[in-house]
Order: sequence, then structure tokens, then C-alpha cells
Amino acid sequence: MLTIENLHARVEGKEILKGLNLEIGSGEIHAIMGPNGAGKSTLSNVLSGRGGYEVTQGRVIYQGKDLLAMSPEERAWEGVFLAFQYPVEIPGVNNAYLLKAGLNAKRKYLGLQELDAMEFMSMVREKAATVELDAAFLSRSVNEGFSGGEKKRNEIFQMAVLEPSFAILDETDSGLDIDALRVVAGGVNQLRSPDRSMMVVTHYQRLLDYIEPDVVHVLMDGQILKTGDKSLAKVLESRGYDWVRAEARS
Amino acid sequence: MSLDAELLHKAVAQLHGSSVHHDLRQRAVEDLLTQGFPTTRDEHWKYSDCSPLLASLGARLYHDSHPVDDVEMARLVDVESYTLHFVDGVWDKERSDLPAGITVTSYTETTDLFAPDEESVLSQGFTSLNGALASGGVMVDVAEGLSLDRPLAMMHSSSGKVAHVRHQVRVGQASEVVLIEHFSGEGAHSGLTNVVTALHLSEGARVAHYRLQQEGLLQAHIGRLAVKQQRDSHYCSHLLTLGAAWSRVDVVISLADIGANCQLNGLYLLSGRQHGDHHIQIDHLAPHCQSDTHYRGVLDGRARAVFNGKVVVHKGAVKSHSTQSNANLLLSANAEVDTKPELEIYNDDVKCAHGSTTGRLDQQQLFYLQSRGLSESEARQLLTLAFVGEVMTRMNEPALRAYVQKGCFAKLPHPLDMNMEGFL
Repeated sequence: MLTIENLHARVEGKEILKGLNLEIGSGEIHAIMGPNGAGKSTLSNVLSGRGGYEVTQGRVIYQGKDLLAMSPEERAWEGVFLAFQYPVEIPGVNNAYLLKAGLNAKRKYLGLQELDAMEFMSMVREKAATVELDAAFLSRSVNEGFSGGEKKRNEIFQMAVLEPSFAILDETDSGLDIDALRVVAGGVNQLRSPDRSMMVVTHYQRLLDYIEPDVVHVLMDGQILKTGDKSLAKVLESRGYDWVRAEARS
Repeated sequence: MSLDAELLHKAVAQLHGSSVHHDLRQRAVEDLLTQGFPTTRDEHWKYSDCSPLLASLGARLYHDSHPVDDVEMARLVDVESYTLHFVDGVWDKERSDLPAGITVTSYTETTDLFAPDEESVLSQGFTSLNGALASGGVMVDVAEGLSLDRPLAMMHSSSGKVAHVRHQVRVGQASEVVLIEHFSGEGAHSGLTNVVTALHLSEGARVAHYRLQQEGLLQAHIGRLAVKQQRDSHYCSHLLTLGAAWSRVDVVISLADIGANCQLNGLYLLSGRQHGDHHIQIDHLAPHCQSDTHYRGVLDGRARAVFNGKVVVHKGAVKSHSTQSNANLLLSANAEVDTKPELEIYNDDVKCAHGSTTGRLDQQQLFYLQSRGLSESEARQLLTLAFVGEVMTRMNEPALRAYVQKGCFAKLPHPLDMNMEGFL
């Protein structure tokens, strides 16, 4: 699904990713863990195409294509989805409108028939229920006045509507209480499928109790320093990160 | 170019009208000769230099002998209305469609003249010129207690002439009316529409006023809207500026009696080398009045906008409420805006707030939309529409809102090919 080779990236002249390698297979969920400043958000942003990041070396192959050559919207059409750590509020643009425009742009790109308003609304109502979002929010402005939990649920709801092949969940657990976390994780788990991969970026092991990863990576100093199964997350929770660096150096 | 007294006198002498008109014209001529045209040394004309306009119009400013070109009659698609048509400011009486309760007289035939020029310090020069030379325009009388079932539309088509137009509208006690003033026309040469509209709202009257300026890009447009409000009257203005190469509109509101309130919404979308200046003055003269001003502008290319909003709360006007905001969105590095909200308060018992912002499209929002599959140009367009949509949502007449929305869409760069149904 996704292969990252020797990825180097800079932000404002400072090198953050320093030769990162990663391989994510179809249907797999990979957790990326690491301390603050390790480069987790940079990785999410580079993969989704946010401006301000300069890739100086390496490449990313996504479904056989050069991901880094694509604009953010092309990535979306090709099935990449970023669930934002901090979803932005967009007053004046309503949720339903944005989703319909986004979904139909993708369908058009894929040579599929665009959905009409009726088909779209019935599909969207159904998906909203899976993350316990009231359908009334569809006519509200994107994220405007949403609580932290609503914003994150909205991200997962959008993911359900856009049906990506590769989803990046950037610190989806941040700012969530335990009930909201359970709802969000439940939504994500419903979207697990053999042809959909996910990269779950998180600080804490807690999220991984609800979204069980196939593989856990430790991202430190701009590289993947250690890779293991889900039990690695438990070890990190009790021992912290410093030992990983020590082990990698030895 | 300075004022040409000889041409002015000559032009005035050729006009028809009653002795009331004669007196008003003489006063206006005297005012104009004393003050002259505004220059950039005048505080309220600092950013709007009218001298190139005056120079290019020359003698046509006083008397335009250009023949009237054929001009397409302006039409508001999908808006049902009672309609008055004006070509270069001249009322086409034959084509009028008027309901009971509305009386219309041409400006030169009425003897009931308002004096909109005496109510503000903003823009004497062109208003005086208008007072001296206006021959087009009408007096509209809306009977007491009338609730008009359709908007009354005053449609202006310009063929590119210089036209001095003066309208007077009196809305009777407790009447309710939606008034449209629409300006358009694509002439072969450059002219000037110099229009003064004086509006009197009697006690308890309610007026929603759409002033839609979509003139051709060769035309200049100078407008003055003078509104006098009596007790408990409600005035809601939606002002749209899309057209004209160079435009200036002064909105002068006088909240003259207890409980009057006004809501002034405005939207200007300017591109290319368009220049658009909006000056507002609201006088709170009586207790318990309220004014809310909300203007937004989008500027592209090398366009330039000026906004000046001044609220004056006079000594006896206790319990006044006033808010004022002006927000501007710059789509290009070469666009420019000068904005200045002002407040003058002469008593302690008031609630007032004002502010202005000027910014560019938000990069975070753009990326968010792109990450959901919108192209960059669609994302830009959508955010721009969201910005102007904030003003449109205040328009209570769906057909007019849709008309304005369509006009704005067409004006923005990179027209969207996506279906905008359900956007607002």
C-alpha cells in the first residue's frame, strides 16, 4: 500500500525527518509512537501534502505511484485521508456541502457517476449515526463551535464518507475524554477493512487499547528506531522512550 | 479640473421645474460655487481622487449632449416586483407597473422636495451638483399602513451618459416595503451616474432596501443615500457594489426619533483597477435607537476600496446601541483597502462597538478543504464565498439573496464549475 524510503524533510530550514523508512501493507494498521518533537506530525503532514514542508531526500510510493508528486487534492482523490489533530473551523462552509463537493470530486476523478443530493444525504445520515453525530450538524459550518470531541468525531465521520484507502489519524486521541475516545475508536474500527490501511499517530498507548494495531513503530530523532507488535506499546507506556534510543545506538 | 461656473449656470438655466426646484437649484449652485468639488485634501476624499474623472468628463459634467444609445433594460431575473424603469436617469413612465397605494411623480413635477444635502458633511460637491442639475428621478409615495406584497424595483440602465438623478421616497406610517434600486448598463463610452436618493421613513415604517450597483466598467458611479427615520421605524439596507470603474457611495442615516433602528449591510467585490469608496454616517439623535453596520469587501487584481463608517451619538441620544464592523479579504498582493470606523459619543449612557479587519485567505482552511478533495481554486472560491456569504445570510428575501449570490459568483475569479446548490 505505502512504502516510505529514506525520507528527509525540513520545516523552516530545520531537518525533522532524517531518513525514515516505513512499509505499510494492505489492510494493516500501523501505530506511530514517539515523544514530542520526534517528527510524528511532520510525517503526517508530508504524507498528506501540507505546504511548508520541504522534502530533501527519499521517496514515498503509494499504490505504485509517487505520492509526493501529487497535490493534496490528488492525494485525496487517490484515497489518502488525514484526520487532523486540530481540525480547523471554517465559518460559512457547511459540512454537507464540503463533503458532497469532496466526494463528487473524487468520484469524478475515478470516472464514477456523481451522487445527487438525495443519494448523498441518505448515505451521509447513515454514516453520521456510526459516530453518534446528530444529522443536524450537517447543515452547520465545518467544525464551527464544535466541542473537541465533536471535531474528532466529525473527522472520523468524514473518513467514513470519503472511504479512503489509506488514512492517517494524527493524534486523534488528543483532547478526548474516555467516552468520546470510545466512540471515535468504535467509528475507526468499523472502517477496518482488508483494502484499507491506517497509520495511527499517537503519544499514548491508551488509544491503542481501542484501536488495535498490527504493527507499532517508535519514531524518534526523525527515524523509525524500533518496530514491534502491539505489546511494544505497553512497554513504551511503562518504560518511556529513552531506552529505545539507547538500544538503537548500541 | 476645477468647477466651470459659466457652464453650470448655463445648464441650470435650461432645466424645467417649479419655483421650489428653482430655489433648491440656486441654493445648490451657491453651495457648489463656495465649496467646489472635493479634493484629496478633504478628509473624506483623502483616498478617492475624483480629478481624473472630472477631467475626462469635461463639459459633459454639466450638459451631456451625447445621444442616448440603445441600452438593454435592466432586469432582475427570477425576482417578482413592481417595476419603474429609468434610462440614463429618465423615468420611462409608460412602462411602469404600480400597485394601489404607491404614487409616483417625476422629480421635476413634484413640489415636495427633500433636502438630503443638508443632513451631512460627507460629500457636498457632487450632491450639490446633483441638486443643481437633477432632472431625472422620481418621487415615490407609499401610503400609510400599506404592506407591499412584492418589492418595488427602480431599475436604472445607463448608456454611458452623465446623468444626475434624484429620487425621493416617502414611506407612510406603519407601512412595510421592500425597495430595490438597481444600476446597470454597458455603454459605449464612459459616463457618470450621479444619484441621490432621499428616503423618509414615517413612524413605525419598515423598509428593506437593496441597492445593487452593477454598472458597466466604463461608467463612474457616485451615490448618496440619505435616510431619515421617525419613531420606531426600521430600515435595513443591503448595499452591493460590483460594477463601475470608479465608485463612491455615501450613506447618511439620521435616527431622528425614539426607537428608530437601522441595519446596514454592505458587500463590495472589486477587481482589475476598480476603485470603490463607501462612506457611512449615522447620527443617533434620539434615545433608544439602534444601528448595526456590517460591511464586507473582497478585492482582487489592483482594486482599491475605501471604507469609512462614522457613528455619532448626540447628547440627548441616551440608551443608544451601535455596532459597526468592516472586514476585507485581499485576494491579490496588489489590492489595497483603507478602512476606518469612527465613533463620536456625546453622552454616557450608550453601548457601542466597532472594528475592522483586513486579511487574506487562511492557509490552514485552504489545506483542510484540499485534503477533502477540493482543488486549490475551488477551495479559494469556496472560502471567498463563505466570506461574502456571511453578509448574504442577512438578506431575508430569498429571491433577492439568490440574485445577489449569482452576481457575486460571476464576479469572482475562476468561476466554480461545481454545483453551488445548497451552499448557503
